[in-house]
Amino acid sequence: MGETIKPNNRRFKGLSGKDRLRAVYDLLINNAMYIIIVAAIIFIAIRVPAFLSLSSIINIISLTAARLPIALGIGGAIVLSGTDISAGRAVGLTACIAASLLQSTGYANKLFPNLGVVPLPFVILAVIAVGAVIGLVNGFFVAKFKLHPFIVTLSTQLILFGAVLMYLMIGNNNGQTLSGLDPVYTEFVRGTLFTVGGVAVPKYVLYSLIITVLMWVIWNKTTFGKNMFAVGSNEEAANVSGVNVFRTIILVFMLAGIMYGITGFIEGGRIASCSANTGVNYESDAIAACVIGGVSFVGGTGKISGIVTGVFLLQIIFVGLNFLSVSANMLYIIKGLIILTACAIDMRKYLARR
Amino acid sequence: MKRIIVTVVSVILMAVTLSGCMSGCAGGSASDEISVFYYTYSDTYISGVRSAMDKIFKENGVKHNSYDANSNQSTQTEQIDIALSKGASMLVVNIVDTGSNDAAQNIVNKARERNVPVIFFNRSVDESVISSYEKCVFVGTDYEMAGHMQGEMVGNYLLANYDAVDLNKDGKISYVIFKGQEGNMEAIARTQYGVEDANKVLTANGKPKMQFYDPQNRNGYLVDQDGNWSSASATNYMSTILAQYSESNNNMVELVMANNDEMALGAVSALQAAGYNKQGGKTIPVFGVDATDAARTAIKDGRMTGTIKQDGEGMAKVIYTLTSNFKEGKPTMEGVDEETVVGNWRVNIPYSAYTGQE
Repeated sequence: MGETIKPNNRRFKGLSGKDRLRAVYDLLINNAMYIIIVAAIIFIAIRVPAFLSLSSIINIISLTAARLPIALGIGGAIVLSGTDISAGRAVGLTACIAASLLQSTGYANKLFPNLGVVPLPFVILAVIAVGAVIGLVNGFFVAKFKLHPFIVTLSTQLILFGAVLMYLMIGNNNGQTLSGLDPVYTEFVRGTLFTVGGVAVPKYVLYSLIITVLMWVIWNKTTFGKNMFAVGSNEEAANVSGVNVFRTIILVFMLAGIMYGITGFIEGGRIASCSANTGVNYESDAIAACVIGGVSFVGGTGKISGIVTGVFLLQIIFVGLNFLSVSANMLYIIKGLIILTACAIDMRKYLARR
Repeated sequence: MKRIIVTVVSVILMAVTLSGCMSGCAGGSASDEISVFYYTYSDTYISGVRSAMDKIFKENGVKHNSYDANSNQSTQTEQIDIALSKGASMLVVNIVDTGSNDAAQNIVNKARERNVPVIFFNRSVDESVISSYEKCVFVGTDYEMAGHMQGEMVGNYLLANYDAVDLNKDGKISYVIFKGQEGNMEAIARTQYGVEDANKVLTANGKPKMQFYDPQNRNGYLVDQDGNWSSASATNYMSTILAQYSESNNNMVELVMANNDEMALGAVSALQAAGYNKQGGKTIPVFGVDATDAARTAIKDGRMTGTIKQDGEGMAKVIYTLTSNFKEGKPTMEGVDEETVVGNWRVNIPYSAYTGQE
């Protein structure tokens, strides 16, 4: 794409037709993800009209909402040209903590048999605090020792897995699934927000929406957000221009950790049974969603709307292929191709800018 | 900077010494230690077996050490090498790789070199491997049984409640079955026999076969994409199904079967979000396998209908009996219920149906 700025290409400028063609081509490529989404929706809807029924749309939105906070958290780490593979395990740990604190009092296999039902706000604060501590540890080792986030989170993810296993062995639980959740909790998460045409919208859709708006404000309207992008695109330059790089990195990871805590809280109530397997591999979908949505691994670029689009696209593929009764094996292939395409388009933009 | 590194290192060292003391400070040498290898600590059912095993060894003052292979056969094989070089007196192995005989045979060969008995448990190992070494037995369940029993339970439940279950009154039961993992023998057997046997019961009593809710799906099951037998996968599938299939469309899924209880509970969660399986409301019957504590409670509450009990404690007891037989040089199967012994090479822990009565 570099040839556009070569002088011998100047003669093409006269040929407005070709320029226009190029402009259209660029427009298509730069919006490829949206085009793929629209094409996918049209294709699936023609084959199975029920795909665009109200209940189906609400289901896709709900699934997107459940996976959104973790992706928004990881997005920040990717903007710093890092990553976070401890996210899934962090979700697992916080989900187990939330579930264990909110088992109903009469339940026979309570993890903490003598504990009453803990008030919801306290539990939310607890999982946010646990998430923040996980993020603090990740961020500290990245910022202080200049370790690559991949290595740091590879280690913390192992530590978190051990912690989940030990946590589930407390009392008489013996590693069993945490279930028997208090209705207050499950209602708070998956209870009906409102109904449209007889289809219930779960409450966590609202929470996800609030979090998305909050994250948009943090990314776009605060000094911290601007610092994050500055550090992501050029750490040295950011440092020279007076950005506290150390603090910014730690805060980005803490914010991510808080998002994992919230995801864990929602996931615990949504699935209503938590085990050591909860949350495993969630980070791979979240990272994929960010990349599809244009949060570049090069660092310094990314939009909240892109992440939402990415998560949305992955859920459309999941639901769509189920509606089409396609073999599950194809899902892996299609997902892989989409991530690869998205990365290629992303890098193409980056190369063109140089 | 230096001070921080020193602090971090010393904290880590302290943690290591502390945790080391918690698990095994009492015994110095590792000889005559029984080494137990689990395929993964994150499996709920295996965790139940593990705590039963820990308890029974502790009560009888037997020194043992547990290892987590984290679903990785090469990890497990390395752990076995370490245990053998430490001087383990016996290997109790919950093998990871059930797809071929090589991994199990490899372990048997290593044990034979050192004349150490091997007890395989839970995940199936081929007879040819077990009988290649006289100090080797297998404690398991007849893995096909769980599927057969679930099918029979579902069939009988449907016969007794046919009209109530058949929501759209078309005379046929529309069902969905959740498979835990592709390529796993137990998942394959549970998926196949669960449906086949339920249909056998139905057709023998003049009822038509059940129908998979989506006739386009040629697999006839939905599988956990990550192979984790996880509740989340079942929740996501079920809510997607409910978006398309409902009572108002007259095509509601009328029966849910799952390869394990986690997935069954995941499906229940999605059903509850859609207003089913709550007290006072309509209940879609959901069947699982394992009889975990959570599932048993759900069945008592009426959120779930039935499950198949795998007796984890019974398995731990038999394994303990076998280890003491090996240690004292008694006949291998002494003290084990004869009915459960198959040809002197394996013990089958029986399954039982669980529908709320103990």
